[in-house]
Amino acid sequence: MIHDLAPQVFNGLVLGAFYAIVGIGLSLIMNLTGTINMAHGSFMTLAGYLAFTMVSRGTSFWFALIAAPLIAVIVGIVVERTLVRPLYKREPFYSLLMTFGLSLMAEEIYRLVWGANGVPFSPPPGLASAVSLGFMSFPKFRIFIVIVLVIAMIALALFLTRTRFGLRLRAAVQDTEMIAALGTNTQLLYAVNFGLGIFLAGIAGVLAAGMLGLSPTSGNALLMPAFVTVIIGGMGSLFGSIVGGLLIGMAISLTTLWIPAASEVSMYVLMALVLMIRPRGLFGEEGIFG
Amino acid sequence: MKARTELLVAAPVVALFAAAPYLAPLVHLDISIVSEVLVTAIAVMSVNLLLGYTGLPAFGNAAYFGLGAYGAALSVQYFGFHFIEAILIGTALAFVGGLILAPFLLRRRGIYFGLLSIAFGQVFYFIAYRDTDLTGGEDGMTITRPYFGIPSAHIVIHELSFYYVALVVFVVALLAFRSIVRSPFGRTLVAIRQNEARVRFLGLNSDRFIFVALLISATMAGVSGALFALLINFAYPLELDWHQSGYFVLSMILGGAGTIWGSLAGAFIYVIGKDIISTITPLWQIFLGALFVACVLGFPRGILGSLAAIWPRPAAPAELDANAAFDAHAPAEAPYGS
Repeated sequence: MIHDLAPQVFNGLVLGAFYAIVGIGLSLIMNLTGTINMAHGSFMTLAGYLAFTMVSRGTSFWFALIAAPLIAVIVGIVVERTLVRPLYKREPFYSLLMTFGLSLMAEEIYRLVWGANGVPFSPPPGLASAVSLGFMSFPKFRIFIVIVLVIAMIALALFLTRTRFGLRLRAAVQDTEMIAALGTNTQLLYAVNFGLGIFLAGIAGVLAAGMLGLSPTSGNALLMPAFVTVIIGGMGSLFGSIVGGLLIGMAISLTTLWIPAASEVSMYVLMALVLMIRPRGLFGEEGIFG
Repeated sequence: MKARTELLVAAPVVALFAAAPYLAPLVHLDISIVSEVLVTAIAVMSVNLLLGYTGLPAFGNAAYFGLGAYGAALSVQYFGFHFIEAILIGTALAFVGGLILAPFLLRRRGIYFGLLSIAFGQVFYFIAYRDTDLTGGEDGMTITRPYFGIPSAHIVIHELSFYYVALVVFVVALLAFRSIVRSPFGRTLVAIRQNEARVRFLGLNSDRFIFVALLISATMAGVSGALFALLINFAYPLELDWHQSGYFVLSMILGGAGTIWGSLAGAFIYVIGKDIISTITPLWQIFLGALFVACVLGFPRGILGSLAAIWPRPAAPAELDANAAFDAHAPAEAPYGS
């Protein structure tokens, strides 16, 4: 029993960390500007493919892990400045529709550039082996993933609570007009915030490519669980996203073990249960998004 | 529109569609594509009622559409039902789907409503996708189109007769839609979009109105889905996917949110456009995506909405007023943006 269960629990943890980090990125963008970024998965895939191209051209994995997300961020900020910005003053569903269109285009472009089938992207040699934990052995790369994602979350939390810019960002979520009146360049906040979300997605994209594979639609496969993560955790709460991500990561990996056919449906059932008890999600804040 | 103007516009449109089987070959269109336009238009109307009129981002209507499709396909496949019964069963299934989801969706507004619609809609997608024994899973299920279902007279439905069936259903749906949005009930939905708090202060339970709107919307989407399954003799999981919901919303925006005829215009542009582009290039998805972007950034009021905005109007027509307020109320609340 423990030999089946323990690896699945750990897998659930890894999956949950992915969902949490993607959910946090979505949540950041959603909280500040009300934009539901349906192209979030596309940016993950972009970073994954860029890292794949870099590594296959001979650069090191470590360089690609940072450089690929940064390039995705540049693309993201250009998209935000040109295409998303005009929609900030309009109904939120317009930006949902627009980014949906972007994700359709991106998918086809990835197919053109990197081919319709998945490409192999393996973790660096140092992380390829498994580590024995006594009662089970577990791939080193997955442990590495969890460590990187946890570091990213801590760094983000410190950025938001300890730096001047992070404080302005959080203040802008509360009251954009007041922040603007106090002399903060809100457009800069929007751009940096969007880039931050994409950077988290990019890191997750590179790591996910090594674990879950890389294909034109691989990022979009993580998008829906990330939405559910945000809904379960409660909009506006980063901590909620972490809890939500871990919960559905566990739910998915445990149902995969016991009732494989229900593995995708399980997170929606969990979401329905949470919403029945707490309509705003577990840590949703009063007043944000009605 | 005034009654006379509306008749002046409506009569030629209906006449045009009645003659479509003779006109379509002239422009090398298959009549089944025109059927698809009409069937899709019903689904777009279902989105329009929620999003265009009530202001709820209905990004989950593909769930009801797909439930209608699977309801019809399953009842034909496993119970040998006839055409009309299959459509009724598909519609009923979609209605039940609406009944199940509405209590969850009701609780939230704005983008949260959109997110919940997307997420809950996916449940049905995964059920159809995973339950391979019953639904054929990813490959979908092929059916043979049933007889019309009048006892002792087995009428085979060819593409042409299907087209006229679709036209009749569409006209009935359009008339129903028109009377719904012009009724006090429909006006209340528009009022909810413009200022829900005020509606509540007037003593109206807005949740109850939205509940009914959701059920009507689910039923219309179900009719559309059931017809669609019988049109292509096929049901597949992607009909239930949120991408499909997105296409409906796009079509609605293309035609014009909050307009009665906009749904038909939008469905026409979307279905015919997709058909033409996909025969020209295999990269049609890029064009479709670009269409989303261009439509949202370029003409958010859609074809009819933009036309209506420049139309001289002595007495303010009701549905256009509703449309004008669609964008206008966003800056008033100014929750986001600088």
